[in-house]
Amino acid sequence: MLGLLQQLGPKLAGGGIALGTVYHPPSQHHYVSIFADVVVVLLILAFVLTAFRDIARLGRGFSRAWAIGRVTISEAWNARMWAVPLVWFGVCVLLGVLIVRGYEPSGVVRVYMTIFLRAQALILLIYLGLLACVTLPRERERHTLVTTGSKPISRLELLLGKVMGLSAAGAIMLVTMMILTWGYMKVVDLKIRHDAQVLYAMQKKSYDKVQRRMPPDTGVKYLAKHGMLQAQNYVSGKFGIAGGVNYQTNPPTRFLKGGSSEVLYFEFPSLPATEYYRPMFEFQFPVVHALPSTKPVTIDVTLVQRSNPMNTQEKTLTLNAAGQVFWIPKNPTAFFSYGNPQTGQIYNPGPVVVKVTCPDFGVYLGIGNGLRPPNQTSCMAVSLDTNRTPHHSGMLAPKANPVITGFKNNGKQEIVGPSVRHPQIKPEVASWDFPNVDQQQIPIGPHGNFTVHMVIRVDKQSNEARAPVAQIVAYNTSTPRDRTVQSVYVNEKRITTIKLPSTLLEAGDLIINLRSEVPGHWFKVKENSMIIMQPPSSFIWNLFKSEAIIFCEIVLIISIGVTASTALGWPVAMLTAMVAYILGNLFHFVQGLFQSGGLQLFDYVQDNRMKHIWYYQIGSFITNVMVHILWVIVHLMPDFTRYDPLYFIVRSKDMPFEIVFLDIIWTLACVLPTLAIGYLLLRKQELA
Amino acid sequence: MVADSQAIQTRQLSKVYPGFFKSQQVPALTELNLRVDQGQIFGLLGPNGSGKTTTIKLLLGLINPTSGDALVMGQPAGDQETRRRIGYLPEESYLYRFLNARQTLDFYARLFNMNRAERRRAVDYYLDFVGLDPSVRGRRIGTYSKGQTRRVALAQALLNNPDLIIMDEPTSGLDPVGMLEIKNMIMRLKEAGKTVLLSSHQLADVEDVCDRLVILYRGRIELEGALRDLLEKKDVFQLSARNVSDALQAKLTQIAEQEGAVEILTGRARVRLEDLFKELVARKRSGELR
Repeated sequence: MLGLLQQLGPKLAGGGIALGTVYHPPSQHHYVSIFADVVVVLLILAFVLTAFRDIARLGRGFSRAWAIGRVTISEAWNARMWAVPLVWFGVCVLLGVLIVRGYEPSGVVRVYMTIFLRAQALILLIYLGLLACVTLPRERERHTLVTTGSKPISRLELLLGKVMGLSAAGAIMLVTMMILTWGYMKVVDLKIRHDAQVLYAMQKKSYDKVQRRMPPDTGVKYLAKHGMLQAQNYVSGKFGIAGGVNYQTNPPTRFLKGGSSEVLYFEFPSLPATEYYRPMFEFQFPVVHALPSTKPVTIDVTLVQRSNPMNTQEKTLTLNAAGQVFWIPKNPTAFFSYGNPQTGQIYNPGPVVVKVTCPDFGVYLGIGNGLRPPNQTSCMAVSLDTNRTPHHSGMLAPKANPVITGFKNNGKQEIVGPSVRHPQIKPEVASWDFPNVDQQQIPIGPHGNFTVHMVIRVDKQSNEARAPVAQIVAYNTSTPRDRTVQSVYVNEKRITTIKLPSTLLEAGDLIINLRSEVPGHWFKVKENSMIIMQPPSSFIWNLFKSEAIIFCEIVLIISIGVTASTALGWPVAMLTAMVAYILGNLFHFVQGLFQSGGLQLFDYVQDNRMKHIWYYQIGSFITNVMVHILWVIVHLMPDFTRYDPLYFIVRSKDMPFEIVFLDIIWTLACVLPTLAIGYLLLRKQELA
Repeated sequence: MVADSQAIQTRQLSKVYPGFFKSQQVPALTELNLRVDQGQIFGLLGPNGSGKTTTIKLLLGLINPTSGDALVMGQPAGDQETRRRIGYLPEESYLYRFLNARQTLDFYARLFNMNRAERRRAVDYYLDFVGLDPSVRGRRIGTYSKGQTRRVALAQALLNNPDLIIMDEPTSGLDPVGMLEIKNMIMRLKEAGKTVLLSSHQLADVEDVCDRLVILYRGRIELEGALRDLLEKKDVFQLSARNVSDALQAKLTQIAEQEGAVEILTGRARVRLEDLFKELVARKRSGELR
């Protein structure tokens, strides 16, 4: 179930609900997921079979469990629970005051919210995790469990009571912290609004006296009126989300996202200068299908001479079942160096770039570092003629870590504008797909238009003096021929508003394409660079949803702590809970290692002949087993990385309720087998 | 099948506390066969380590038997529903130190699914019943004297108006007056038709209240029976009277010797220190003594 949910999560979220910044392709090690699912199902089955009487009594048993919970809250209160929010608040305010210096208003809110929420999660995870680990052992040590155990209460109710009590204590502290956060942010916002009022008054005064050419900034006026504390709702484009690099793993797992504008660049600094030959390009990508598909995967390959970008050669290739394809370019001498045997002259065209794109949506091509480990196929290499290139026998690999002009550099993608020297080269286009726009609450203006907000950065390679201009092409997929084309001046780093006709908001997807019109002007865009605004939601409701995410995380760590303490002493229980938390945070890291071949390096040897030695084989077997055990353990751990209370609120964006709902379901799905383990351990345990 | 009249029945009940090595295993109870009828006050006696507390914990299902079984109120020991009819006063008052007396009893009342009104009524009634000073009821138990804590522990044992009350050293930590009150309380419980299993080192207490008893030694029953039968010396006669002169005493001794009695003891009767103390306190309380 956990494995299933781990795979299902991103898919459920794929339709415009950004769970994280990155899409996680499903694991290729399906057997591990299946094993984890089987373990969880068996656990729940054993729990239901052994606890059916206790479960049947749970109707009235909940009040008994809650009685235990109330005492646990009293215990937490007695353990100075009330001091935690005060300490947290003091530390956060101090940190905030020290860190926040001269930020713009959105930065102030972002920094404060990051400090407040991160510290909340950290403090509560530690405090309640520790309490969860000590509460049952302490009752055993003080023998209070003897008196309680003599009453008509089942072990399940005891376990539930502890989890409920600590969760309620966590909820009390979270609500207190939320109120303190809201109060403090309100004060901060008042100051921001006051500063904006003063600034706007100054601008207006200056403008009225004709000392200033520019009219007063309406953005400042809006800020003075509404402040920063609001949760914006907007529709963002599906393709705007990052897909090139999964930065949550270390090293990053890299994929080329099919159907997007991502381009993979393999670079060969210089190919060997020898006599004429016809080299063969070999591509092999591990193909991950995010959507069910039986169609063969195609890639578009372009060969470009770096020193002469006009010298290109294009080809569409179809990968075979193993994800492999071979290509022998025509007229290779245009790109590859060669020596003239008659004159002895060497022609060297310089660096060569191989651009690869994948037009098939739902397909991810594994990149890794672009190189091949021993005895494994790389994703790209050039096969050389061994007889004619003795110094470069076999396969020639490109530079390591090929560049993807995907969403790299903190999620920003650079799209290249028109070339100054070669105006024939088409500029790159960024594309956003807004699905089901007719079902979104998009306000229509009095003239039948709706507003699209665009925030992009401009990288001026040349033509520095010219104002950046973007060409916007918008259409609906149901009427692809009716296109709206606009040229707009870009407010760099600030909001540029674009008015589009509401006729585009029909059933179907709204597609907005963006490109630079000025030669030498490149745009840096990211997933939310193009958004359609909706009416805002309240800040406190958004804060509440973020707190709910933290609460889910706390409940999970509490249930792990209580379960660990049923059979272990509190120090070992603490260690267990900590290890579970760490492994739960390493899920994507280990998954990434598996997918990019990192863990296989355990099995790495310089000399293949060693693989036939018996002690190497035993060692290799043990290594493999250990690595797979680690993978299985990590897979059985709940994925703590999914709890992200900050992503939306620091961007002043309203968190979709689906995220909270999904996290609650996920938490329950993790808590249930955890408590099942706890019950099975406690069921026959002696309380005295 | 256990007879309805029996509150407790154990069959070959044994408990061995496990150790890492076999030599570290501790046999606490060996093949205990016990029968307690309903309405009885049953004494469980024995020196330290004889298995009294282990027996009680087994009956409550707090620990698991190594072999044998036990029936309590006709149901297997530890049955959740049966525990509704049992009150348990542990050897030490194992209560939450951070709760006050009211909160403590309210918590235990919740475990019996009592509603708000029932809880309030039961808490007040039993705190009065055990004689806890009203001025301390709002204080945390951690600040109580041992006797006050013991009274709260006793109140929690009676809170559900149980049919079977298991008391492990009920008078531990109480002054002689408190002991007397407890004994009176046990007698009142008997009058109300309750069954009481009493484990105590205070032999005088057991002697005063118990109908039947067993004496355990190293986990085995050494002696069992009705108290009167066990304590009665069939070949010894005892006479007690007031206003007996030395001459009459000598005369009575002489008659006894003539009739063939042996090992004759005569002398002034002595009051027990416990009775003397109780009488003194009672007179002080009544204002008879200043």
